[in-house]
Amino acid sequence: MSVLQLCEWIQEAGLSRIISESTWGYPIVGALHVLAIALFGAALLIPFVQGVELRWLRRVGLTLILASGTLLSASSAARYYNSTFFRIKTLLLALIFLNAITTRHERKKMHGAIALVLWVAVIFASRGIAFL
Amino acid sequence: MAEFIKQSWLFPVIQSVHIIGLTMLVGTICLIDLRLLGVGVRGQAVSNLAAALAPWTSGGLMTVLATGPLLFGADLTRYVNNPAFVLKMGFLGAALAAHFTLHRSAVRDEAPLKPARQKFVAVLSLILWSSVVLAGRAIADFDLA
Repeated sequence: MSVLQLCEWIQEAGLSRIISESTWGYPIVGALHVLAIALFGAALLIPFVQGVELRWLRRVGLTLILASGTLLSASSAARYYNSTFFRIKTLLLALIFLNAITTRHERKKMHGAIALVLWVAVIFASRGIAFL
Repeated sequence: MAEFIKQSWLFPVIQSVHIIGLTMLVGTICLIDLRLLGVGVRGQAVSNLAAALAPWTSGGLMTVLATGPLLFGADLTRYVNNPAFVLKMGFLGAALAAHFTLHRSAVRDEAPLKPARQKFVAVLSLILWSSVVLAGRAIADFDLA
């Protein structure tokens, strides 16, 4: 089975079709996705501002982003698989994951800065998906 | 110029900057609201947190106010005929009005509001700003043309 066939199978699954075929499915999940981005983004900024620890908020925000993002991509998996910007976005997310798991306490600031730059790039790539 | 933005790669680029601005603006306001509600954000007095975040909040506000009209101007007829956009502008007006009046007094040090009032302002602020974001994202889904 090719990746494209896998994507077609994913978008035919029950949950994907609920989102792609209903009037409100995609708008609601998409709106939650952006709202979670606002929360997560602010929680990411905080280490640069104050000694307030917001790890829980980053976790909640990230969980919401990944859950809603997975649903959105599943709803038109084949289209996203063919999108260059979606592929770039996936690559950037993989880099973010690598950056996170290699973070050591003494280099926390540097890893935080790298994460911020990569997340900004993710936003640009995401708008590119809708545009192309 | 408007036609150029609409047709070129500039549109998604400006949109991206708009989203980064919205993250700074709405995200930092939500953090202050969570602090007012006593949910999760601790270790700082409300006024200290608000002061520390103020540059990000106003930077975010300036960013969305600079990019929003560019996007709007690039495709006027699309936006004025879009119900989600009209709704968004309504929520935005209410959110900004509440931000510069009620929210200001909820985070100040001198003559502080009663805790119950602070919490009310925080909930109102969370609802209004979330509505702006939700309606804004929905613009893409409710193009009538």
